[in-house]
Amino acid sequence: MTQADVLAKLQTIFDDLFLEPVTLIPALTAKDVPEWDSLMHISLVVAVEKAFNVRFRVGEVEATRNVGEFADLIAKRTQER
Amino acid sequence: MDTSRLKKLLLDGAPEFWELLRQQTREARAFDELFILSSLRKKAHARHLAPPKPASEKIRVALLGGYSLYPFHELLEHICELEGSPCELWKGDFDNYISEIMDESSGLYAFAPRVVLLMPSENRCRYPGKLTDPRELQQAEATRVVDSLLQLIARAHDKTSAEIITTNYILPARHDHGAFRSRTMGSDWTFRKWVNLELGLKAPPYLHICDLEFLAHRLGGIQARDERSWFESKQPCSPALLVDFAREAAHLIASLRRAPKKVLVLDLDNTLWGGVVADDGLEGIELGDTSPRGEAFKAFQRYIASLRHRGVLLAVSSKNDHHRAAEVFEKHPEMILKMDDIVAFKANWDPKSDNIRQIAAELNLGLDSFVFVDDNPAEIDIVRQFVPEVATILLGPDPSEYATLLQDCRFFEVRSLTAEDAERTSQYLSEARRKELQASATDMNVYLESLEMEAVITEFVPVDVPRLSQLINKSNQFNLTTRRRTEAEVQALMREPGYIGFSVRLKDRFGDHGLISIVIGHAVDGIMKIDTWLMSCRVLKRQVEDEVLNELARLAAARNCSKLEGLYLPTPKNEMVRDFYSRMGFTLVAEDEKSRQFELSLKNFQPTPTRIKITRRAYDPS
Repeated sequence: MTQADVLAKLQTIFDDLFLEPVTLIPALTAKDVPEWDSLMHISLVVAVEKAFNVRFRVGEVEATRNVGEFADLIAKRTQER
Repeated sequence: MDTSRLKKLLLDGAPEFWELLRQQTREARAFDELFILSSLRKKAHARHLAPPKPASEKIRVALLGGYSLYPFHELLEHICELEGSPCELWKGDFDNYISEIMDESSGLYAFAPRVVLLMPSENRCRYPGKLTDPRELQQAEATRVVDSLLQLIARAHDKTSAEIITTNYILPARHDHGAFRSRTMGSDWTFRKWVNLELGLKAPPYLHICDLEFLAHRLGGIQARDERSWFESKQPCSPALLVDFAREAAHLIASLRRAPKKVLVLDLDNTLWGGVVADDGLEGIELGDTSPRGEAFKAFQRYIASLRHRGVLLAVSSKNDHHRAAEVFEKHPEMILKMDDIVAFKANWDPKSDNIRQIAAELNLGLDSFVFVDDNPAEIDIVRQFVPEVATILLGPDPSEYATLLQDCRFFEVRSLTAEDAERTSQYLSEARRKELQASATDMNVYLESLEMEAVITEFVPVDVPRLSQLINKSNQFNLTTRRRTEAEVQALMREPGYIGFSVRLKDRFGDHGLISIVIGHAVDGIMKIDTWLMSCRVLKRQVEDEVLNELARLAAARNCSKLEGLYLPTPKNEMVRDFYSRMGFTLVAEDEKSRQFELSLKNFQPTPTRIKITRRAYDPS
């Protein structure tokens, strides 16, 4: 899966969860989206793990700095399966 | 889960959005599904899409505990709102519950909650000493943990007069300590079990236990925990258990204000028994030990009977001829439910919605205290449409799941104990002590006496034929001749003048054993030849054999026989009754490899006294 593939699928998850529409670009960070708080983050990770059938290791999602890095992490964990 | 229709309704501003959202919320099992539904609900509020009914007044609920309350509060708020008991939530800080309760100027008290939901930290529920410490020390520590939690809870209640809900502790699900875990109270496993038990038993009336131990057990211990979510965001459990936890908490909050259900209205055909009595007849319906399906229907009836003992009123609404339906209750030997158990019996051709309205009027009870059970979706639909206040349960195609369906709908749960219950409890205790004495006695007669056995002896009757044939064909060990007979052969035998046949049903204080023994005799020239004598091994050594012989002798004498003739035909499986007739006082008169023949003269026969009360005898006109 390329970063673009992951971003496209990720976009549908964001559309489901967020009240206001969010357009995903690699440089986007949680700080740019007012709704994206710690609560939303927990739900986002659960939804992503289910949709992509992956399991992140402790602390690694938090270590990603923007949506692009998050997408790369998803791609990496997807390849391991 | 497909949310596309919900989203379309939301974009169109259609009020049907709310009903569909409610349905999907009920069906959603996964955390992320519920979270998406919750987001849609908030989107609807943001767009001012008003719910069809104005929401009832919000209940003020304070959440506090040793965990992060995000995103639990989101699920709780969502479920409570859609189940008709909306909440206004106040959230304490992570692991700050002790000072929030102790400090009178805390935000908790400023909020003035009606309900406090507390999640005490499991880090405070651990034995600090050694696994090998004396049990007295470990137990005292467990009691201390319980008492300090109860004191904290009492303080919160005193200051707010709120109802308090507390979670108990999830048990570990990993192999720590191996098998030794259950031999010490120092392991988390045993220590928490003890604390949970003591907490529940000591809980004052204002305290309600949100039983996380049970919920985790129900879901599966390994599924219930997620270590990563603790390290990352201080979650109490896995997202999957969080969903069950939120549902349970919402259920507890709602039941604080909602009246419990009082009446269970039952369909008959394919609900209480298999088949349709009008088509299949009294003999043809499936009920009892004849078949696995028959057993399942009987077990369902047993569960319903247990609800009646808890105080639930039972009613019947069935599309049937009254006479045919009532006959099953009056005559079918495997029926657990009797006419006396039913407070209103409507077997007719009126719509069931009308029947239920009429029952409600007769009992002077509100329709919202009714639950209706049927296997037919059309009947459920009529009731939903015309008496929407009535809760309905659609039974599926498998009767083995009926009782679990009824249990999981959670309509008939005990809320709390009343003074009356307490009084009854003390009566039960003295009764229990009396029985304990009996049970501890080693004397066999005292034991048999304490079983309070009752037997019914019935000549062969048409309604029993399927069960008679079934037991005749499957009984191997306690079976003197192992002669098999089809249903048709049993029926034919009933018309033969020289033959007698009877069966025995036994029950005791632990339950009903059903049909457990069968005898067929053939009177020839003043001799009663015992064609068949068999018994279920479940009731060995209960004196059933003695009563069967008493009955056999009585019936033989009534037919002018002076002698009983018994035959043992050996098979690979019936060795246990090789000497049965000798033990019963018969004399061996002939023997070869293929058979042993015995006789008993009836001239001086005296019935053997037993501890079984015989409530009916065969061929007895009464």
